[in-house]
Amino acid sequence: MKQKLHLFDKLCWLLLLSLLLSSACSQTEKPTEEGTIVLQDDLGREIQLEKQPLRVVSLASSMTEMLFAVLDTSTIVGRTQNDDYPAAALTKPVVKNYPIDYEQVLRLKPDVIFTVEGITPPDDAARLEELGVPVYYQTYASVEDIFNGLEDIGRIMGREEQAEHLTDSLRQQVNELKQRYQAQQRQPLRVLAITWKDPIYVHGQNTILTDKLHILGAENAVQEVFDQPYPSITREYILKLNPDVILGDDREKMEKEFFGQYPELRKTKAYQQGRIYGTTDNLMSRPGPRVVESILELERLLYHE
Amino acid sequence: MSKLLYVTAALLLILVVLLLGLQVGSFESGIATIADAFLYYNPDNTTHFAIVHLRLPRLLLALVVGASLAFAGYLLQAMVNNGLAEPYLLGTASGASLGAVVVFFGFVESTVAGFYLPPVLAFAGAFITTLMAVMLGYRKRQLIPSQLLLAGIALSSLCTAVVGLLTFLSDSEGKLKSIIFWSMGSFERASWTLLPYPAVALLLALLLFIFYQKQLNILLLGAERAQALGLQVAQTRWVILLTVSIVTGFSVASSGPVGFVGLIIPHVTRSMMGASGRWNLLFCAFIGGLFMMLCDLLSRLIYPPVGIPIGIITSFFGVPFFVYLLSRKNYNF
Repeated sequence: MKQKLHLFDKLCWLLLLSLLLSSACSQTEKPTEEGTIVLQDDLGREIQLEKQPLRVVSLASSMTEMLFAVLDTSTIVGRTQNDDYPAAALTKPVVKNYPIDYEQVLRLKPDVIFTVEGITPPDDAARLEELGVPVYYQTYASVEDIFNGLEDIGRIMGREEQAEHLTDSLRQQVNELKQRYQAQQRQPLRVLAITWKDPIYVHGQNTILTDKLHILGAENAVQEVFDQPYPSITREYILKLNPDVILGDDREKMEKEFFGQYPELRKTKAYQQGRIYGTTDNLMSRPGPRVVESILELERLLYHE
Repeated sequence: MSKLLYVTAALLLILVVLLLGLQVGSFESGIATIADAFLYYNPDNTTHFAIVHLRLPRLLLALVVGASLAFAGYLLQAMVNNGLAEPYLLGTASGASLGAVVVFFGFVESTVAGFYLPPVLAFAGAFITTLMAVMLGYRKRQLIPSQLLLAGIALSSLCTAVVGLLTFLSDSEGKLKSIIFWSMGSFERASWTLLPYPAVALLLALLLFIFYQKQLNILLLGAERAQALGLQVAQTRWVILLTVSIVTGFSVASSGPVGFVGLIIPHVTRSMMGASGRWNLLFCAFIGGLFMMLCDLLSRLIYPPVGIPIGIITSFFGVPFFVYLLSRKNYNF
């Protein structure tokens, strides 16, 4: 009997889900009759909220930046141990995100947790939901996805206006950059961005960096699409790519830790022309509201150094 | 005579695999380009450069490391008279991993006075762990093989636990990538500056054991009988131990720990060449090198450009063969 009920329950949910999907919206928000809000996150997972959330916790540093950019900061009740931006985030209680400190989460009583795919394992999210805390995932493949993410957060939290105000301004900056650089007729600069030196890992085609470079009329030197967003490559592969610019650490550090170890790579065009630059790690690696700042940093390195 | 034929065949196969391996890489290159690169080397031609400075040292490093591990495994199995022994049993691999990982976790600078430290500390870690295992295996002025191996296993677990702890506490994905390298091995870091260390160690060790071959074979009869036959068992064991530590230490420091080769190749050798023979050691080294070169080549063909971590390939291809060997009725250690 119990099992039958369970099956019935499942069917009901399935029906509800298909109804929601048929409304064909990437980010759905529907108050049901009882006042429950049903959302669908970027991974297509269904999230139910009993009311408009008033207390949120972030489990990813980039998400903390997203939340602080859009929300009333009093609604943010927890952040991760790695967060360092904005300064106001440091005043919030820490929730260790790996391994997750479940008790701390419960202590902070969030109505919803925001996180990013790849940072919070699905197992952890399932456990949090068992404990009664819904988890909302975002994932971004492009700069525009980040802006959409900001707007989604605004909608869920009742801060549409603030979110749109921010994204309008960010989009405008991106469009100006596009107009400035994409119209130019010159050969695009081919940029290789190193994420780890031993073994060598780089930004692959499926990373936001590719889009950031595209906005600036440049391109990711790694054109091949690998399974991983950050593939491991060989010295020979880099010699073949022969990038115009190599991003990683500042020249001195790269000389010591990268080219010192792989002297063969001194034959690359980037090295020969001295085009080795360091980027601000948090700007480069975090998909957040400072993405435009990150693009502007790349612009300075690519065209004004 | 037929044994010498085996050795010659192994050597020829090494040359064939070398020629095949030189053609695999990101730059298109056939036999003609390879020949060009060696006969009319042009440093401005990046294909030539890649063949001579990246592919050749990589293949040679695989050869040297494979040969070193097989050779060290053979010596150790003879020393303890047990087919389960392998060079890493003395804690060498885990010690090396710990040494290298210490650098990646920022406890020390990664480059000091122009020296890139991970391989240096890996060698130090390997050597210190082995030394500690030897000290623990030494009792009443005698080296007790079973105690030595147990000490090695215990120290190995300890090092693995520390690496595990550091991995757990790691705050960056990149560090985990380095740990993967230092737990499964790769030949990607090969270069002409790195190659001489393991190569010279191996050559000296091979030369030494041309003279020690007889003692090694007597040791196979068991310590007591060897002693009765006038062999200085303790001294022979020390020579073996020192050789194994140095050869394994250099190979693990240059390519990370590559499992399984040190265990199976000595068995392959004995199954083909008999339990003791004058060409055994040389054949073991050649076959070990050949096997490793083939594994590296396969790993790069299956998953270009970097290749699957080499330890995975050696197990994938080594285990079925090992099972076949074990199931053969006429082979015993």
